[in-house]
Amino acid sequence: MTNPPPDALLTLTDVNTFYGQAQVHFDLSISVPRGHIVCLLGGNASGKSTTMKIILGLVKPRSGEVTFDGASLLGLTTPQIVRRGIASVPEARRLFADMSVRENILMGAFVRNDREAIAQDLDKMLTLFPKLGQRLSQRAGSLSGGEQQMVAMARALMSRPRMIVMDEPTMGLSPLYVDRVLELIRTINQEGVSVFMVEQNASLALEIAHEAYVLQTGKIVLSGSARALKDDPRIRDAYLGGSEAA
Amino acid sequence: MSSWLDYTINGLIVGNVYALVAVGLALIFGVSRLINFAQGSIYLVGAYIGWVAVVQLHTPLPLTIIVVAVAAALVGLIIERFGLRPLQNSVRIAPLLATIGISFVLDQLVMLTFSPNPRALPSQLPDIRFQIGGGTIGPLDLLIAGVGLTSALLLFVFLRYSKLGWAVRATAQDRDAAMQMGVDVNRVNQAVFGIAAALGGVSGLLVGMYYNQIDTAMSLQATLKGVVAEVVGGAGNVPGAVIGSLLLGLVESYGVAVFGTSYRNLFAFLLLVVVLVLRPNGLFASARQAPPEPLTGTFIAPSRPVRIPRWALLIATAVFAILPLLPVSFYVLQTLINAWLLGMLALSLTLVAGTIGQVSLGHAALLAIGAYTSALLSLTFAVPVGLAIIGGGLMSAALGTALISPSFRLRGHYVSIATLAIGEIVSLVILNWESVTRGPIGISGIPPLSLFGYELVSPISIYWFSFIVMVVLALLQGRLLGSHLGRSFRAIRDDDIAARAYGLSLNRYKSLAFIFGGFAAGVSGGIAAHLYSYINHETFNTQQSILALTVVILGGLGNVVGAILGAVALVGLPEVFRIAAEYRILIYGIVLLLLVRFRPQGLLGTM
Repeated sequence: MTNPPPDALLTLTDVNTFYGQAQVHFDLSISVPRGHIVCLLGGNASGKSTTMKIILGLVKPRSGEVTFDGASLLGLTTPQIVRRGIASVPEARRLFADMSVRENILMGAFVRNDREAIAQDLDKMLTLFPKLGQRLSQRAGSLSGGEQQMVAMARALMSRPRMIVMDEPTMGLSPLYVDRVLELIRTINQEGVSVFMVEQNASLALEIAHEAYVLQTGKIVLSGSARALKDDPRIRDAYLGGSEAA
Repeated sequence: MSSWLDYTINGLIVGNVYALVAVGLALIFGVSRLINFAQGSIYLVGAYIGWVAVVQLHTPLPLTIIVVAVAAALVGLIIERFGLRPLQNSVRIAPLLATIGISFVLDQLVMLTFSPNPRALPSQLPDIRFQIGGGTIGPLDLLIAGVGLTSALLLFVFLRYSKLGWAVRATAQDRDAAMQMGVDVNRVNQAVFGIAAALGGVSGLLVGMYYNQIDTAMSLQATLKGVVAEVVGGAGNVPGAVIGSLLLGLVESYGVAVFGTSYRNLFAFLLLVVVLVLRPNGLFASARQAPPEPLTGTFIAPSRPVRIPRWALLIATAVFAILPLLPVSFYVLQTLINAWLLGMLALSLTLVAGTIGQVSLGHAALLAIGAYTSALLSLTFAVPVGLAIIGGGLMSAALGTALISPSFRLRGHYVSIATLAIGEIVSLVILNWESVTRGPIGISGIPPLSLFGYELVSPISIYWFSFIVMVVLALLQGRLLGSHLGRSFRAIRDDDIAARAYGLSLNRYKSLAFIFGGFAAGVSGGIAAHLYSYINHETFNTQQSILALTVVILGGLGNVVGAILGAVALVGLPEVFRIAAEYRILIYGIVLLLLVRFRPQGLLGTM
């Protein structure tokens, strides 16, 4: 890969990750330019979710570098990384099921201490996600999948992040909610938050992304602007894992 | 005390005390999915710090409570920081074993500092009783109720309204997600251990004042009762732990009212077993809760076992076989006889805990069943000793398996709790079933070992007898592990769901493992009974269960040669270094802690 462009907010450079003996990433390099939506595509077991875990500090790579806003993230714990301005919408939402919707959203502001601004942001979330207004005191675990996704996104925004990382935000949602979620990601991005998302659904993701990378068994096999990739015949092959070469 | 109201009040007060212990256990379990077996030790420490404060420093009551709470919280923080945090990324069995080791170390330190003799802990309140209805209530009852309610209220406010409290709840529900919100999980652990320890310590102080007496046996009892209450209420469920505790207090109190004091604990453990069997997630669990121990295959440290060449084993066996012919002292033989007996128990436990993955904490019960059966067969029915010992083994295999079978559907930590309780039940039944077991008096005059009419009285003959029995059992177990049975056992240990999906009947294989293991342990107990010539309900106690577990972990879980090597090491080394008896348990605890930290796969590796 070429050197990251100077305006990159997040970069992964030559990352090699192992689970025990098994290598998950092979010289993985990704860069997320400031203000962009970058999408990482790939099938099962391609190493997508592990990439998320690397960014969040939940898994440490054996070699390589991960920087955010020019500073390395490698020595940091997950909470420290969150404090740097990265929020996460984890795979399958991972809400705090026994806490109320309000408590879940406010947990997103855990790293902040400005009470009044937090209250304002909560109101803002309710205008962005109007459906949640009636659900505030309900147990988060009792919501539908789509509603849970809204809570997870609101929760992530509450930390006023510079970047949100999302793991398969459309997984398991009804078509109606899929469109809604994609639209929201675009809205969030237009407010200046960079987005790094991991997706299986290539055609959907390429709709909203600026750039995309295709990951196959731990290696980047394709990358470029979303527009170019959408028309690339190889994308289907690589994404479906049909042929080895790409 | 006479009226039902009195028993109810007593039950609720005792329940309040249990609640202080159980709530701490529930908090810790919620956050780190760990049953903290050291909770009772903190309670013990609390009681003795209270004794120092009251008797030596003459602190007034409010100050006493504060001193105990702060000191106990410090102990909790130290345990978390130095005992458990280093184990964060190890296998799931590691922190469980560490808390067991920590509990041994703390209990022994208290015993060595204050002597094992009971001490009087005076209540600092006037000894008056108020008449209410048909019963009476004293100031201390009110204090305990007050402390219980205040703690519950403070805890509620903390969890509901403080930022750290939110972090605790979020971590309990989803640790990774909480970290991704910026929650520092280490701080949450610290907070939880500090709170749990403060509550546990105060509980110890109050109990000491309530019964006007403290001694080192309190520790294990408190852990057991707290665990019972917590599991009854649903592991990790804080309000459930309070209700479970009050229920336990009442059940015990009414049980005592009807059947007498010596039945108190029996009811507690029966309640536990019933709840574990019928509702393993506790009385208040709803269906949506995950089943206990959703993770499989990660409970035991995987490792490559050390291969010992056959010739080396043969040479070692030959050396130990001809050892009595060499000029060695009787003392050495005596020590090795003990090692062989412990080795048989370790063979049994390494099969059950290591090969099939059921970490039993009640293995001494199998010894006791074998010992009592063999002793009674030879005494009452004049059965020849050799046959009586085999009878002990068979009885232990049958009865032990039957008793433990309710726990077959449990996994992970829950198996440990259930086996601990079943072990206690066995010892309590022995204590109370006087017509058969002679109750607290025990059985004396057990005939010495004999074989085909020849009495084995010389140390050399006893040595050979026990050595040969152990070697035969070890060979049988080696054969067993090499067969398809052994593979099935390991499959169930590594992933019971996958094993079931391949058509393995868990109950059948767990039964087979316990039958074989029960036989070995029963034979060991039987031989011991004829060697000691006197046994009672305390001869085979939880300390021995834990010692056996330490041996097994030292040798490497599931490892036959390792079990024997571990037994020789743990029995032999204290003798070699002439360590005084009262320091031995302390050493065992430290060995367990060091092993878990630095070599969880044991000396020879898990198999």
